[in-house]
Amino acid sequence: MHRPTKPRVLVAMSGGVDSSVAAALLVREGWDVVGVTMKLFEDGHALPDRPCCSLDSTSDARRVCEKLGVPHYVLNMVDHFGRDVIRDFVAEYARGRTPIPCVRCNTFTKFSDLVAKADGIDAEFVATGHYARVVDGELHRGADDNKDQTYFLWGIDRSVLRRLLLPVGTMTKVQTRAIARDLGLPRVADKPESQEICFVPDGDYVTILRRELPADAPALSRGAIVTVDGTVVGEHDGFAQFTIGQRRGLPGGHAEPLFVVALRPETREVVVGPREALLGHSVAAREVNWLVGEPPRVGDTVQVRVRHRAPLVEARVVRFDGGEIELALAAPISAIAPGQSLVLYDGERVLGGGFIEAARSIEPQHAARS
Amino acid sequence: MRSGDPRFRVGYISHMASPIYLDHAASTPVRPEVLEAMLPYYSVRFGNASSTHRWGRETRTAVDEARERVAACLGAHPDEICFTSGGTEGDNLAVLGAWRATRASGRRAVAASPIEHKAVLGAMHECAKEGAEERVLAVDATGTVDLAAARERIGTDTAVASVMWVSNEIGTIQPIAELGEHARSVGAIFHTDAVQAFGKIGIDTRTHPYDLLTVSGHKFGAPKGVGATFIRRGVTLEPLFYGGSQDRGRRPGTENVAFTVALATAMELTLAEHEREGARLKALRDRLERAIVAAIPDTVVFGRGAARAPHILNVAVPGVDSESLLMALDLQGVACSGGSACQSGSITPSYVILALGVGHEIAAGAIRMSVGALSTDADIDRVATLFPQLALKARELASA
Repeated sequence: MHRPTKPRVLVAMSGGVDSSVAAALLVREGWDVVGVTMKLFEDGHALPDRPCCSLDSTSDARRVCEKLGVPHYVLNMVDHFGRDVIRDFVAEYARGRTPIPCVRCNTFTKFSDLVAKADGIDAEFVATGHYARVVDGELHRGADDNKDQTYFLWGIDRSVLRRLLLPVGTMTKVQTRAIARDLGLPRVADKPESQEICFVPDGDYVTILRRELPADAPALSRGAIVTVDGTVVGEHDGFAQFTIGQRRGLPGGHAEPLFVVALRPETREVVVGPREALLGHSVAAREVNWLVGEPPRVGDTVQVRVRHRAPLVEARVVRFDGGEIELALAAPISAIAPGQSLVLYDGERVLGGGFIEAARSIEPQHAARS
Repeated sequence: MRSGDPRFRVGYISHMASPIYLDHAASTPVRPEVLEAMLPYYSVRFGNASSTHRWGRETRTAVDEARERVAACLGAHPDEICFTSGGTEGDNLAVLGAWRATRASGRRAVAASPIEHKAVLGAMHECAKEGAEERVLAVDATGTVDLAAARERIGTDTAVASVMWVSNEIGTIQPIAELGEHARSVGAIFHTDAVQAFGKIGIDTRTHPYDLLTVSGHKFGAPKGVGATFIRRGVTLEPLFYGGSQDRGRRPGTENVAFTVALATAMELTLAEHEREGARLKALRDRLERAIVAAIPDTVVFGRGAARAPHILNVAVPGVDSESLLMALDLQGVACSGGSACQSGSITPSYVILALGVGHEIAAGAIRMSVGALSTDADIDRVATLFPQLALKARELASA
C-alpha cells in the first residue's frame, strides 16, 4: 500500500516510459503522487499507434498508476491547447515561419494550466518526464546530452521552477528504460520514442494547415521560387510547405544544390540559394523569458542553441531592449529558422530564451560599419 | 454492505478514513445473495440450456424459472421477457428492432427525447441512416418531456417513440403513462428505458401503457452484462442477432444461465425492499441537497421542482468546473461523476444538462451524486461538509 510521507505532487503522464518512470520514482521516494494525462486535441483517439495522446497511451498511464497504487485522472485541456498551441502553430506557418509547438505547450499548457490544476488539488509540486534538472531553483541541462529537453523549456514561468520535479533528468534514456523494467513496467519500458509533434500524424503538418486555413490562404497558394538575386527558377504550391534549410521540393539541375534560405509571405516567394547563403552570423529573438535572477547583459558571452540537440555555440549579447535580444555568434550556424527557439545557456544552466525573429548573414557590427 | 466494508476499499484510497461511493447510478456491487445464486452455474450446473440431456434440462429449468421470476417482478408474462446483455442492447433491440419491424408499414418517424441515454440516441441515429426521420421531443428546464409538444410530434406516421422513465443524469421522472397512452393511441410502438427506474419507482406492465421496457442488472446488484427487455405480447421486433432459436429467436445465442439467475434474484431482492429503501435514499439525497444549497445558495440543482427519483442529485456550483471538483472529491475518497466521460476518461459537458437550456459554463460544472446500497448517514454527513468546502475552494482558485 502506498502511504505517502512527502507532499503531494501532480505528475503529467503521457503513458510513455519517461513520465511513467518519473511517477514510479516519486512513489518510491514517498511522494503523494497524483497522475494525470492531458487530453489535448479531439482526434487523438483516431491515432491508436501514436506514442502519446492516444486512447492507448491514456490507458497505459492509468495502468501504470494502478500498478503504483496512485490515483490517475484525465484532464480535458482541448480548448486551451487549441487556443494556445494549435492556433499559433497554424498562424506561424501562415506567416512563413517554422513554429515550435512543444515550447508553447510547455509554457502555456503544462507549466501554466496544469499548474493551476495542481493548485486545485493541493499539490505543492508538479513533475514531468522531461530530461532536464532543477538545481537550486534554476533549470539545468539533462544529464543525458542526447536527450536534453531544455530547448523546449525556456519559456516556462520562473516561479514554477521551485515547485518542479524532474526525476529522470539525472538519468540517461538507457537507465530510464532499465528502471522501467526493474519497476515492473515492461509495457512502457520498450515503447518507441516520441519525436513527432503530438497533434501532427506522420509529420504531415500540411494536412493540418489545409484543415485549419481557408482554401485560398496565401500560405497554401501557388507562388514563385526565386534565387537571392531575384531570378525565378520555379513554382511551388504554398510557401508553408517549406522551411529554412529545406531541399525537398526544389527544382534540380543547378550547378550546386539549392536550399530554402528565406520565405517571403507578402509576395508568396520561396527564396533559394547555395549552402553558404544559409549561414547566420547573428540571431535575434523576441518574447524573451529569463529563468535566472540575473539575466546576461549586453557584452556578456553565453552559449546558444537554435535547434533541439544542436551543439552549443558561443555568442555575445549585442543588443537587448527588454523584448528583443540579439547575439553575435562566435561561429556561424546554418539554417536558423524564424519561429524556432533561441535558448541561452551558461554551461549547464539554462538562462532563458526567445522565439527566433531573424538571422543575419553578416555580423551585426560589420553591418553597423557598412 | 456499507462503504466501511473493507471489500469495497480501493487500493490507493484505503489509507483514507472512509472512501465514499456516491455513484450508484453508474453501477452497484453484486449482492452477496446474487453471487451465491450464480455460483452453481459456474461449476456443476454448467450445461447448455439447449441440450436435451440432464445437464441441459437442469439449466433450461433455471433459465425458465428466472424468466418467470423476472416477469413477476415486472407484472409481465414470462414470454414477454427477453434477456439481454444490459441497457445498451435492450435500448437498441427496442428502438432498432421496432423500427425495422414496422418501417414496411409506411411509418417513417422515430421519436425520442434529447435526454435519452446514448444507447437510445445512437439507435435512433442508426434508424435515420436506414431512412427514418428523427424526431426529438422537447424537454423543459427541469428536464421533463413537454407532453403537449410530444403529442404533436408522435403521430400516425411514427414507428417508435422512446422516452426514459428516469433520467440517468438528473433523476427526473418522465410522464410515461401519458406518453405511452398517446403513442399507442396513434399506433406507435412505445419504449421506455427503465434502467434507472427499476427498484426506485413502481413498475407494473399490467397497468402502465408501454410496449417495450428495458432494465439493466448492474444498477441494482446483479453483474454487469445482463439485462432484460419486456416485449408486450403482439409486438414484433426484428432481432439484432441471427442464429439459433433461443429466446424465441429474439436473442439467439447460448443463454448465460448464471446471469439470468442473477438478474431474477437481484430484481426480487430489490423489489422486496424497494419502498423502505426508496424512503431511506430519498431522505439521504434530500439531506445532502439541503446541506449543499444551504452552504452555497447559488448552487444549481438540476431537475429541482420536478418529480425526481430518490437516488440522484445533480448540482453545479457556478464558477466551478466538474473536472477539478471531481478530482478533489476523489482524492478525499468521494466518488461521484460528472458530464459524460469519453472512453479516455476525459470529461466534456453533458448533452443532457445542455438540453435543459443552461449555459455551457453551468453545464461544465454538473456533478452527479447517486446514493444507493452502500450509502450511510455518516457518508452523507461527511459529503455534506466536504462538498461545499471543496467547491468553495475551487471557486476561489478559479476566480483568482
